[in-house]
Amino acid sequence: MLLDLNWRVMGETLPLFKAGFLSTLTISAAAFVGALVIGVLACAMSLQTNRLIRGSAVAYIDAIRATPLLAQLYFLYFGLPILGVVMPEIVVGILALSLNSGAYTSEIIRSGIIGIPAGQMEASASSGMTYSQQMRLVILPQALRPMVSPLIGQAIVLVKDSSLLSLISVLELTRAGQTLGTERFMPVEGMLATVIGYLIIYYGLKLTAATWNRLTLAPGSR
Amino acid sequence: MLPDQLIAISHFYPVLLKGLGITVAVSLIGIIVGGVAGFVLGIGRASRIKPLSVIIGVYTDIFRGTPVLVQLFVVFFILPEAGIELDSFAAGAITLSNIAACFVSEIVASGIRAVPRGQLEAAASSGLSHFQQMRLIVLPQATRMMVPSLVGQFVLLVKDSSVVSAIGLLDLTRSGWVIVQSIPNGLLAFSVIGLGYFAICYPMLYLSRRIEKR
Amino acid sequence: MIKFSAVNKWFGANHVLQDINLHVAHGEVVVVCGPSGSGKSTLIRCVNGLEQFQNGSLIVDGTSISDASQLRRLRMELGFVFQQFNLYPHMSALDNVALAPLHVRRLPKAEALARSRAQLERVGLGDKFNALPNQLSGGQQQRVAIARSLCMQPKIMLFDEPTSALDPEMITEVLDVMVQLAKEGMTMIVVTHEMGFARKVADRVVFMDKGQILEVAAPEVFFTNPVNPRAKEFLSKILNH
Repeated sequence: MLLDLNWRVMGETLPLFKAGFLSTLTISAAAFVGALVIGVLACAMSLQTNRLIRGSAVAYIDAIRATPLLAQLYFLYFGLPILGVVMPEIVVGILALSLNSGAYTSEIIRSGIIGIPAGQMEASASSGMTYSQQMRLVILPQALRPMVSPLIGQAIVLVKDSSLLSLISVLELTRAGQTLGTERFMPVEGMLATVIGYLIIYYGLKLTAATWNRLTLAPGSR
Repeated sequence: MLPDQLIAISHFYPVLLKGLGITVAVSLIGIIVGGVAGFVLGIGRASRIKPLSVIIGVYTDIFRGTPVLVQLFVVFFILPEAGIELDSFAAGAITLSNIAACFVSEIVASGIRAVPRGQLEAAASSGLSHFQQMRLIVLPQATRMMVPSLVGQFVLLVKDSSVVSAIGLLDLTRSGWVIVQSIPNGLLAFSVIGLGYFAICYPMLYLSRRIEKR
Repeated sequence: MIKFSAVNKWFGANHVLQDINLHVAHGEVVVVCGPSGSGKSTLIRCVNGLEQFQNGSLIVDGTSISDASQLRRLRMELGFVFQQFNLYPHMSALDNVALAPLHVRRLPKAEALARSRAQLERVGLGDKFNALPNQLSGGQQQRVAIARSLCMQPKIMLFDEPTSALDPEMITEVLDVMVQLAKEGMTMIVVTHEMGFARKVADRVVFMDKGQILEVAAPEVFFTNPVNPRAKEFLSKILNH
């Protein structure tokens, strides 16, 4: 079967795959930024002493973690028009991905901060620093380093999750592969190209994570 | 409008129930088959036989690095080209079992590797065979460490099972999709769906947090 | 300078500080000792507001410690040295010491660094400016921690079991720094088991057990002829090491 692949048509449809590949990258990158913003916000809220604020953040995180992304996507896709909000599908998709990933990102940020020993807060408080000075100078610099690896993991998840946008008619890598199947009757070639596309991104991100680990765990490094 | 819609949704009760049933069924098959297969794969992955570890590693990597949706499409649309025709439930069950096995194998492999080397040395020094070391010392400890991760994996699987709606299988997500075709209130329909998933997943999440705290 | 008046603290049902009355004058060196669980750490942590109490009053340098608006200002005048050092691991010794003067006292960078170097030399670490905490021994880390507190030019230095986490051979280097500080007239409260230190420089020894101050006396009196039976018991255990 592998030898029967129609290489010629695959070559012709390369622009479609390029567009799909770039679209996947763009969607994932945009959602990653969105997730960071939402994650920082949700994490800050979850650390507040005010019960209402903290409770809202916890409710949001629990709701996201206990329901599938696809249901959340459909919720927004079918639900927003009812509220009178009309947006291009790709925006709805990025919004859904950001909201979903934001909950997990907030947990990553939270464990980074909580992982810092209480003694660091006490020592910096004892010399008269304000809360924001403590966070800015002592806690966050230490907390950020262990967050990088899990955040790259989130990026990998986002890339895979972006495939769901194909179900709401957004052109990205999965949809490009499907198109080859439905319009050119070459499902095998289509899926093969799609799989290769995702694996390129996956191994690229894994390499980034490995390089980061190697650079930061080297002796004598800060 | 809303009260009418609520009444209309209640007429979909059988559809919702069937959807819930399919979601639970396909997820359970996935975690049971995938769990067992993953356990075996994990032992192979952690083994000292280099080629075995590498092959399993590459296999699980491929499935952990590509979207579940794409894997489902391959099983449902591509396998028929090779002569294997599957209905949507079987395709869903196979895809989910496979992905569960791949994730579980990594969890199992790290659990095994996490048992301190010193214990194996002590065991070997008292004459235990490799097989006995695994059975008596490594696996009992590794299994204890894995339990919270495995509960987490089940939750992930239930959520991943929602992709089977894309090949027409009437699971909980698909029933929401069906409902919204008749009752054009996406917020209402998918809130109900969300509650359904929440009811399954939240207790599991809560449980795994409790286990981790111990 | 520091005045505890009828201070009481409960941790849930646990009465961890019972009717504490204690006055520490300017330039005094007070050693607080007692078995574990006696409340001595809690006591010293109240002085810079790391712990709060339910009853009584605590006046530090003329200000009530319970006055939240004055807490930060007060902390600038109080140095606190922790048992676990609590150095900032992502910064060199120089930066650790200069951080607070730079950001809290708002000194210009050059001055903060110059002061930092001076303090590190004062504690005998003039060759370790650029070392990271994980490159220093326990004794060296604790000396950096002392320099860090001293760099703020505090009026009072508080030490919470500064040598308890150190290997025996490193205890002396830290105690020497503390002895020197005492001789220079610094007001100090030191929670410690190091009785040699107490004998050398303490003006008074405060013995605590189960949340109460049971005996306060000059070191020679305390060590040779303690009045309280629990103090006697404690001393016999400590001194027969």
